[in-house]
Amino acid sequence: MSLIGRPVARHDARAKVTGAARYPADLVRSEMLHCKAIFAHRPHARIDGIDAARAIALPGVVAVLTAADVPYNRYGLIDADQEVLCSERVRYVGDRVALVVAADPQTAERAAKLVEVAYTDLPIAGDALSALEPDAPLVHEHRGTNVLLHQKIRKGDIEQAFADCDVVLSATFTTSWQEHAYLQPDAGIAYYEGETLVVETAGQWLHEDLRQIAAILALEESAVAIRYAKIGGAFGGREDLSVQALLALATWKTKRPTAIVWNREESIVGHHKRHPFHIETTWGAKRDGTVVAVRTRTIADGGAYASTSVEVLKCAAIFAQGPYRMPNVATDAIVVYTNNVPSGAFRGFGSPQAHWAAESMITRIAHALEIDPVDVRRKNLYRDGDTEATGNVLPAGVSAIAVLDRCAQESHRRFTPRAERHAHASLRRGVGIASGIKNVGYSFGFPEQSTATVELIASARIERAVVRIGAADVGQGVHLILRQIVAETLELALESVAIVSDDSAQAPNAGSASASRLTFMAGRAVHDAALAARSAWERGEPPEATVQYRPPATTPLDLETGAGTPNYCYGYAAQGVEVEVDVTTGVTRVLKIVSVHDVGRAINRQQVEGQIEGCLAQAVGYALTENFKVRDGKILTPHFSTYLLPTTLDMPTEIVPVIMELADPHGPYGARGMAEMPLVPFAPAVAAAIYDATGAWVNDLPMTPERILAAITAARERTTASAASLVGASSSPA
Amino acid sequence: MDVGKVTRRRFLVRAALPTIAAGVGIGSPRLCALAQAAASVSVLPASGPGPMPVTLNVNGRAHELRIEPRVTLLDALRERLALTGTKKGCDQGTCGACTVLVDGRRVNACLTLAVMVQRKAITTIEGLADGDQLHPMQAAFLAHDGFQCGYCTPGQILSAVALLAEKRATDEASVREWMSGNICRCGAYPNIVAAVRSVAGQPS
Ligand code: FES
Ligand code: FES
Repeated sequence: MSLIGRPVARHDARAKVTGAARYPADLVRSEMLHCKAIFAHRPHARIDGIDAARAIALPGVVAVLTAADVPYNRYGLIDADQEVLCSERVRYVGDRVALVVAADPQTAERAAKLVEVAYTDLPIAGDALSALEPDAPLVHEHRGTNVLLHQKIRKGDIEQAFADCDVVLSATFTTSWQEHAYLQPDAGIAYYEGETLVVETAGQWLHEDLRQIAAILALEESAVAIRYAKIGGAFGGREDLSVQALLALATWKTKRPTAIVWNREESIVGHHKRHPFHIETTWGAKRDGTVVAVRTRTIADGGAYASTSVEVLKCAAIFAQGPYRMPNVATDAIVVYTNNVPSGAFRGFGSPQAHWAAESMITRIAHALEIDPVDVRRKNLYRDGDTEATGNVLPAGVSAIAVLDRCAQESHRRFTPRAERHAHASLRRGVGIASGIKNVGYSFGFPEQSTATVELIASARIERAVVRIGAADVGQGVHLILRQIVAETLELALESVAIVSDDSAQAPNAGSASASRLTFMAGRAVHDAALAARSAWERGEPPEATVQYRPPATTPLDLETGAGTPNYCYGYAAQGVEVEVDVTTGVTRVLKIVSVHDVGRAINRQQVEGQIEGCLAQAVGYALTENFKVRDGKILTPHFSTYLLPTTLDMPTEIVPVIMELADPHGPYGARGMAEMPLVPFAPAVAAAIYDATGAWVNDLPMTPERILAAITAARERTTASAASLVGASSSPA
Repeated sequence: MDVGKVTRRRFLVRAALPTIAAGVGIGSPRLCALAQAAASVSVLPASGPGPMPVTLNVNGRAHELRIEPRVTLLDALRERLALTGTKKGCDQGTCGACTVLVDGRRVNACLTLAVMVQRKAITTIEGLADGDQLHPMQAAFLAHDGFQCGYCTPGQILSAVALLAEKRATDEASVREWMSGNICRCGAYPNIVAAVRSVAGQPS
């Protein structure tokens, strides 16, 4: 009996269907103090003073905390450039300037309105392009520039290569912010347990939350414990601290249990988003469809704080030419501080934006050469042994072509034949295909490890196992996956494997629930720890082992050339979509999706399919409906009434997840990560399908009906104009 | 005024106000408005009518509460009755996470005042199972893996229970249509639809 690949049920499933599962806001007790954060609600200003006297005078108010109360007022996942409570300056609307702590939420809310903050507004760097102007206001003055990172990649002789091409195409693409909209808004509690300060919230990485909070309060890490309640979705949005530091501060200051529950608007204003990109790109190819040169200049809006921007942009840089072998590359990836909401991690981590341009361009190259887009892709896709633009040989197990071929077959079988696509005058059908690549795990020399402890309960034989690993189950089901791997490795029943995972003091550091990495990394750690514990038991030693798994090393990229080894594992994807466009309104529906993924090995097939289908819902939103709007630093879409998440009606009835299992050499049982991949090629596949339906390309995400209609109108005008000029040309000699 | 009692912060505020009121700085009208709003808060009564007795009949049990008439059913359930299975995703009627049944009809508890539903039968996720025996819809969500993070799940399940009672779950399209008020950001939609259809007796 093998447990690998079986659709066994999650152990927390029953609690989730009975209402017993407890999420952070469910932990709040009325005797706790309640916190209310005071947001800046202005994009850039000097703080001239904060007067909390009237707030403090309100009965029930315990404290109004400001920057002066924070022992070390600096934090950030990579670059500690953010203040828990702002001291002198606010840099975006979601900056926090004070924290009211009161006996109940109503009092906290009323007191917050009594805190007077005097500001002097400052000119803003309103978007990435203007923030690059020489006279732009500086978001972080001491840096002397708004440029957070300028990563270059140079390979081959780009000018000569373009000169030798048969076709050269250029275009400019843009993408907007994307809001995670995890359905459970940020919330949590903090309290003392003996001498230990406990913060119980939802997050993606216990031990990183611990590191940052201990640093903020200038405490030893052993004096703080982070616990995760049930996590109501994350998608990258809980990678940065939001309410955690506020809670920790409030309890540390008052020595009493505290709670905070953000409403939806606070959550949307108060946490980072997916980066908006501006991408100018030029692609050159030979007549036979070989693409030989890609030049790209990407400028991303990093918002007011660094978050994970530099890593996101490096990922976008290495994927500027998509999943294609490319002898000549010139890439400039720039991320800029602005006075907008910070940008950071979101499922896909720079890869969806890069593919938006790259996959649109390769389809256009195919059209220009009158070659099938699948054939052009097949000709150029990475193969085993190929070199990346960064100069390294790709990690083994390159499956891009097999994945594309499978996608083309499945799509061909299921999609409406060309002859029938335009049967209706105003409802036009079209199909599109796109490929994708995305790293699994941390990149660019970022320390990558996952640690697990396995304890065996054994006498004559191994009876049970307890796995300790601080891996966040954000809903993807990783706890079940890890139990399955241990049960399989030790030949135990699933019920005989317990997991301890939601307390930083009880479980070692697994690394984050991000970069599609936990199945691979935490999976390997528990697998190797299980084997080591069994060996110890066989040797008659205490049947327990702690193993830190480290994958093949990566290196930083040279800033000027990009040279380096960016990643140790990639996932490969291809998607086909069929859409229907109402050419009179621009309204577009996705009718069918074929989503093909090499997952190495599906540890739990049902959950892999769930990840594909779930990620596709976010991909549909990213491509078509989720239009996050910001004007002059102010967020115009802080509610679900204006920021439109896909409902079940927006999803096609025909979603075909195709799982391929071409084993990764390092992953546990060959598994590689996959949870982000469906977002990577999706939007350009939809754009290609819209083009197929209408003859119009859309260059800007999201592809709203207005934009699609405008593109259709412009394409029509171009056709009419060129027809007119043809008539003119032929008639003039007569 | 006793100058000695002016804190640095208060001084800064006072020093800043005239400059800003004189129109220097982009946000000056806003700051004044903020200051006035703050001033008015302390002179006006805190809120509307005070607490009143409200009887809520939840999952077959009557609860006597003293709550202000402005309290929503959602907050009454979660904060007064400790029935936290009903979730708050938006508090604005846009996500469906707070869906409960009132006399068998589904409502958004965040848009319903508790006082409006006195003497009505309220069913929350905690009241669906019969002891250890899951309601068929709960069992179907389990069998079809109709969730990931589970945050939308109580609302989805109650919506689905009502949908079947409404006899609207006639085919896949109608299930999707009538479940479209319940957002699932994890995107478990295919499995949710399959779960609902299986209870409706439709093959998926
Ligand atoms: S919380 Fe009521 S609809 Fe979202
Ligand atoms: S399961 Fe997470 S929102 Fe539906």
